[in-house]
Amino acid sequence: MTGPKLVSILRQGDWLIASIHTALDDSQMLLFRNDLVEQIGRHRSRGVVIDVAALDVLDSFGANTLRTIAEMARLRGAETVIVGIQPDVAFAMVSLGMDTGDVPTALDLEEGLAYLGRPTGARSRGRRDAAG
Amino acid sequence: MGATDFIGAREDPSAPDVAALIPMVRRVIGARVADPTTAEDLVQETLVRVLTAAPRVEPGMLEPYAIVTARNVVTSLWRQQDRDRRNQHRVVDLSPPDAPDDDMLAREEQEAVAAALARLTDRERDTLVAHEVSGQDTRSLAEELGSTAGAVAAQLNRTRARLRVEYLLVRENVEPPTDRCRPVLLALSGGDRRRQREVDAGRHLLECEVCARLSPPLMERTQSRDDELRIPIAVDADVVAARQAARELASRLGFARTELTLIATAVSEVTRNIVRFAGAGEVVVELLDQPRAGVRITARDTGPGIPDVQAALADGYSTYNGLGLGLPGARRLMDEFAVVSESGRGTTVTMTKWCDAR
Repeated sequence: MTGPKLVSILRQGDWLIASIHTALDDSQMLLFRNDLVEQIGRHRSRGVVIDVAALDVLDSFGANTLRTIAEMARLRGAETVIVGIQPDVAFAMVSLGMDTGDVPTALDLEEGLAYLGRPTGARSRGRRDAAG
Repeated sequence: MGATDFIGAREDPSAPDVAALIPMVRRVIGARVADPTTAEDLVQETLVRVLTAAPRVEPGMLEPYAIVTARNVVTSLWRQQDRDRRNQHRVVDLSPPDAPDDDMLAREEQEAVAAALARLTDRERDTLVAHEVSGQDTRSLAEELGSTAGAVAAQLNRTRARLRVEYLLVRENVEPPTDRCRPVLLALSGGDRRRQREVDAGRHLLECEVCARLSPPLMERTQSRDDELRIPIAVDADVVAARQAARELASRLGFARTELTLIATAVSEVTRNIVRFAGAGEVVVELLDQPRAGVRITARDTGPGIPDVQAALADGYSTYNGLGLGLPGARRLMDEFAVVSESGRGTTVTMTKWCDAR
């Protein structure tokens, strides 16, 4: 792929920060998914923040892919937070009848990192029970 | 070198030994001129000059004379090269030569126009020729024909549209394969959008290969309309292109950002269906001003069609591993929504968002 990077996946301690920089089509979305899940294993990450602020649209495929990523990451032992859903995108998702399932969301990157670092979760095995 | 040996051999004993100067002259010129053949030419020229001048040069001064001559010869070469470079642009002929097939093409062109003209009715042809060739204005034509200037102008427009179609048919040497082709091509050529909708031109172009091939030059004339966009859909990336084009065009109407995102999301859903199920199709985005300002999106494909449209419009209906939100979701996002699908022929989704609707 040429031109500027479409996504970036940066490591920050135990966490990965994955930012989408532009509108992605379906196959790019799937590449992003595979890349991210692979990197979770490589960096032994415990948490992932996905920043979707630059996505123009979160349609059924986009939202579904995010859910899949979160589920795959969970199976690989990492917790996922989606941040940066724009108000108009949120409105479209609700109108469409979409949601992000049980994937936690946060307003922005700061909130997302705060969520991952919250003392209650502590990224222990009992985290999901404690959160639920 | 044979030539110099020859010169040397002819020398009478009293004459200065020019041949002995050769290595030195070579060195002087070789230091200034890189190209060996040019250098050798200059060496020969220097020797000729020295030989001619030898009787006039004082004995013992021949060597310095040869050196100066060699330098001068090199300098004049440089000057000449410099002058050539400066004037090079003057000798370039920028007018392209006549291609050998120009004549032939012009003749074919002429024959095609003549054949197309022959296919018009006598009355159409006479009126067109009187107006275009003889320069008769529409008013006097109207008087002759017992009609009005406006009617004559409209008639002329229709004739021109037909002439364009017939010309293309003659030039491409094809007969329209179906009886729908001509009306569609005529509607496209005339740029009459109401007529294009009546004959369902968009769908026909997807289905008929001949018309798809013939139509681009006809559409180029009307494509200049800036309130309509046509995006061919075949791969994933086209989905993004279509939704961004729709957003861009709709943003001109003063839709709020939220509504633009709704439109883009709906376009994304229906366009994805084309890529997934039909493989190829097109999305047309057009701005409406009647009855209200709005944007209409038409997504067409020539896929297998949807067997049960009602079921497909229900939430959760999915034939692939999706959420089944595509069509019903898009329907919720737009103000008007219609699906027409014919098994084996394809699907057309038409949806509209009105600008002032809340």
